[in-house]
Amino acid sequence: MERLVFDAAAVLTVLFAAVMVVHRHPVKSVLSLVVSFFGLAVCFVLLSAPFIAAIQVIVYAGAILVLFLFVLMLLNVPEEEREQEPRRVQRALSGVALVVFAVLLLRLLKSYGESEFARRGALSGEVAPLASLLFSRYLLPFEALSILLLAALVGAYVLARPEKGP
Amino acid sequence: MTALDWLILALRVLVPLVALLTAAGLLSWVERRGAGMIQDRPGPNRVGPFGLLQPLADAMKFFFKEDIIPTKADAVLYVLAPAIALFSALTTFAVIPYGASLPAAGRTVPLIGADVSIGVLYIFALTSLSVYGIVLAGWSSNNKFSLMGGLRSSAQIISYELAMTTAAAGVILSTGSFRLTEVVARQEGTWLGFVPRWNVIPQLLGFVIFFITGFAETNRLPFDLPEAEAELVAGYHTEYSSSMKFAMFFMAEYINMAVASALTVTLFLGGWSLPGFHPHGVLGGILSILIFTAKTAFLLWVFVWVRWTLPRFRYDQLMRIGWKALLPLALLNLLWVAAIVKLGWI
Repeated sequence: MERLVFDAAAVLTVLFAAVMVVHRHPVKSVLSLVVSFFGLAVCFVLLSAPFIAAIQVIVYAGAILVLFLFVLMLLNVPEEEREQEPRRVQRALSGVALVVFAVLLLRLLKSYGESEFARRGALSGEVAPLASLLFSRYLLPFEALSILLLAALVGAYVLARPEKGP
Repeated sequence: MTALDWLILALRVLVPLVALLTAAGLLSWVERRGAGMIQDRPGPNRVGPFGLLQPLADAMKFFFKEDIIPTKADAVLYVLAPAIALFSALTTFAVIPYGASLPAAGRTVPLIGADVSIGVLYIFALTSLSVYGIVLAGWSSNNKFSLMGGLRSSAQIISYELAMTTAAAGVILSTGSFRLTEVVARQEGTWLGFVPRWNVIPQLLGFVIFFITGFAETNRLPFDLPEAEAELVAGYHTEYSSSMKFAMFFMAEYINMAVASALTVTLFLGGWSLPGFHPHGVLGGILSILIFTAKTAFLLWVFVWVRWTLPRFRYDQLMRIGWKALLPLALLNLLWVAAIVKLGWI
């Protein structure tokens, strides 16, 4: 039963991630990403990491993508028109990306079944063990990250602040 | 699990769900009668005793109305939007403990849909998804009033979510768990023998902020700018002029109110607990449900009371209150709670 739900969620996640890339309408792209993130959250729950799942939904699906949607609607971005340029560089780069993707996929398929999570039994996605790791062993990176976010916030404020008159 | 276990689980989940749907209908009646009372007129009083069957009559009307999808609307999203709104409203109640426990068929049945370790976070996750229902309704209708309503709503909900979660963080800090059954368990008993150990007493500021942001998150007056009828016709549901789709938004709003009240009761007002009340047996279980319902019903009445008493905020006032008043005060509350927890006062 759990296995079935996990597989369905995983397939949905990948499927809607693909839709996000190829869809021509920006608003629908964002919506597919929301579905994709939701599927990912379901996967996290089934991997017994409910905290990560909740944060995934609250932060990504619930906050960041709503802001994306907000901006897209405010600007009223129309459906994308496909240009007829050759785009040689992009095509060459996409070939490289395809190779990298194939290698990653191969590795993933090779490790399929031996369950990374089962081997690292000590690592749990529950709240308490995660918190005790974050606030002891990884305290410094954790605080450094929050300072980074604060710096970005201040930077955004400085950029958006209306110029004072001469 | 035996068939009996499954049956009990199904009842645990379904009974509050049906109760919520009934409450939505009942609340629309309370709202209209309450408005009548405050405005010194009778309100709906023709269908059934005291007009109590009015919601049923309204529902029948909704079912038989013609279902219209505007020509220029995005049909798929237009239909999906009210479904999202109702879905996120209904699923949030699953983790709220609506009573102590009930002995049944030799088992002790906990009166909660699912007692998950991330209870509070689960609720915030689903309420943060509810904004999609409103935003998509606004956008897919292809109508400028709808779009304005949708935009306002997303800005408002994101702004007030911050203060709301920060206020709730105080309760989580003093409980030491996201699990809502533990939040309630910690509020049992008394201080000095007569003061209930409810979170509202040490965290009065947090309670006030949480309840105010609850109004904003459910788009209720004085925060109902997404559907401000005086300027936006009906905001995000302008094009949902008829049929069950409008009814779904309507129900979602009332269910959201009920969930917001139930959550406030659970986090700050002791849930189903009462000083001197130790639930025991079937009677105790039923009493605990009644206590929880009574507390929630009172807060719901406050929702109605405020709606017909206060005027609507202006948009700039709304943003200023959210960012410059509620958020700093919520942070202050969090600091205060951290201090009293560290000092061991609670």
